[in-house]
Amino acid sequence: MLAKPGFRLDRRVFLVLPALAVSLGLFIYPVGALLLRSLFEPVPGIQNYRAVVTQPVYAATLWNTVVISASVTAICIVIGYPFAYAIASAGPRARRWLIFAVLVPFWSSVLVRSFAWLVLLQRNGLVNQTLIALGLTDRPLLLTHNRTGVLIGMSHVLLPFMVLPLYAVMARIDSSYMKAAASLGAPPVRSFIRIYLPLTRAGLLNGATLVFVLGLGYFVVPALLGGAGETMIAQLIQSQVSDFGNWGLAGALSVVLLAAVAAAFALLRFVVPSAARAR
Amino acid sequence: MDDNDAPPFPTATPLIRRRRFGALVGGALAGAMTSALPESSAAQPANLAGTKLVFASWGGVYQNTQKAAFCDPFAARTKATIVQDGPVDYAKYRVMIKSGAPAWDALDVEAAFLLSGGPDNLFEKLDTKIVDVSRLEPKYVNEYGAGVIVWAYTLGYSLTAYNEANHPRSWADLFDVKKFPGRRMMRDRVVPSLEIALLADGVPMENLYPLDVERAFRKLDTVKQDAVWWTTNSQCQQLLADGEVTMGVINNGRLWDIMKKGSKVGIEWNQSLKAVDYLVVAKGSKNVAAAMALINESTLPESQAVIANAMATAPTNPAAFALIDEAAKPWMATNPAYDKFSMLINEAYWRDNFKELSDRWAKWKLS
Repeated sequence: MLAKPGFRLDRRVFLVLPALAVSLGLFIYPVGALLLRSLFEPVPGIQNYRAVVTQPVYAATLWNTVVISASVTAICIVIGYPFAYAIASAGPRARRWLIFAVLVPFWSSVLVRSFAWLVLLQRNGLVNQTLIALGLTDRPLLLTHNRTGVLIGMSHVLLPFMVLPLYAVMARIDSSYMKAAASLGAPPVRSFIRIYLPLTRAGLLNGATLVFVLGLGYFVVPALLGGAGETMIAQLIQSQVSDFGNWGLAGALSVVLLAAVAAAFALLRFVVPSAARAR
Repeated sequence: MDDNDAPPFPTATPLIRRRRFGALVGGALAGAMTSALPESSAAQPANLAGTKLVFASWGGVYQNTQKAAFCDPFAARTKATIVQDGPVDYAKYRVMIKSGAPAWDALDVEAAFLLSGGPDNLFEKLDTKIVDVSRLEPKYVNEYGAGVIVWAYTLGYSLTAYNEANHPRSWADLFDVKKFPGRRMMRDRVVPSLEIALLADGVPMENLYPLDVERAFRKLDTVKQDAVWWTTNSQCQQLLADGEVTMGVINNGRLWDIMKKGSKVGIEWNQSLKAVDYLVVAKGSKNVAAAMALINESTLPESQAVIANAMATAPTNPAAFALIDEAAKPWMATNPAYDKFSMLINEAYWRDNFKELSDRWAKWKLS
């Protein structure tokens, strides 16, 4: 018996139903409820949003969050780009090992890794002991409970999100382009800037967006490795809920976070079309 | 609502009826027992088989100890089932009570929450017919809760960085970054940080309350850059044990715990700030009488001694001291030797000001 094409489409709808149900029940509903609370608690009105806008501490925390996330993105580009290139240009065996090296930390819990960094970076930790033994410093560097600790911890956790999209793009670049450029007399730096970099642009943008957007919502790493100056918006939301029971303000801050994420995505859409063509 | 309105049940109520009227049985039992035994004001519930009590506390070594100290013995004797839950989360708890069906029957709360939660109708009134509060020191008994431990914020220091002759001896030293350079730790919370700042600034203990908030924050500004702010008790243990800081604010029991585990640390009791944890029964619990009976179990000297021996927390029942190891006694907040230079945190002040000043604290931290 031959099925009509219309039947097939209908049945495929069922395939997304479980995902849709999970998304509705576990994401859309609670987030929607939180948004409602931001408008109705403790009394109906926009007072929570007014507080977020008018009280300088909230703006300062949001700015902190953006600066930290942007710094992490920059660090991930600097470390991730050459690393992704190394993976793309390595032989099959070395490539497997290099990808494995990216994925192993990716598979382990953020919490465990943050504690591991705490152990490594603290005053009497391995990093400081090594630096002192090598004579590079005579007193322990302050690497935890400050910006340095947060940047190290977050960059480590988020690096795979930069390396993997970059590698995916780099692996598909035909090496004959670079050879052609060289044969036409372009020095390596010039052929990198004129040819290789534009070809990897889509991967770079995807990676940067992922790292930046994920970084905006970070909680565990700044809570464990940061100090007072590294409070990020997710920590502020958590403390509004669990310390003050202030769901309304927490909801308003969540909306601001959501808006920041949406803005980052919109920016990518706006920048990416030319890059998508380069793919 | 009170037990007085409950119809008197015989002690040997059949299981099914007891289940159905579970909340009333304990109260009635208490009445029966009191009349039978006028000497003892507390009733021992005979059989609570089929009753499930949920006890919430702060997790970790503390809750494990509480389980061993009074939950397990109570369960063994009464055949009640006790489920451990936690950690206690005040915001979550308020939501539970609002919904009218609390998931917790009995819980461990700090004094400031006890004092604000009573008037807010968050707890059942302590039923003194079941909970024998006469065993406890009166200052640790509240209308809504029975004190279970007394502990203190103390100044802990590393004996690797300092020695017995030369070490920080007051909160003023904690703030003195010239005399004691390097990082120090403080609790990331307005209590007890404001008290500590004012004591460091020279305010005498007897004039501490009401707190001079402006002065406290000005003093805190001077140490902000050199302080690591801890949020959990385990974190302050790790900071000191690993040498990340050389001194700071730490609970006496937690300091004792890392010392027992091999850290070279010392304790300064001068200007220590004592606090009390209370056990309460959740408003609207379906097992009020059984939960009260569990709290009664926590007032027994042998129960309190188990916690004290494990965590150097001081008992609220003075009779427990006889059962406590000599080694733990110098580490206890209520040791009379420390009375002259230690004080109790004024929980009534925090009941009225905690919310507002916590908000200010959060903003100060971010500024």
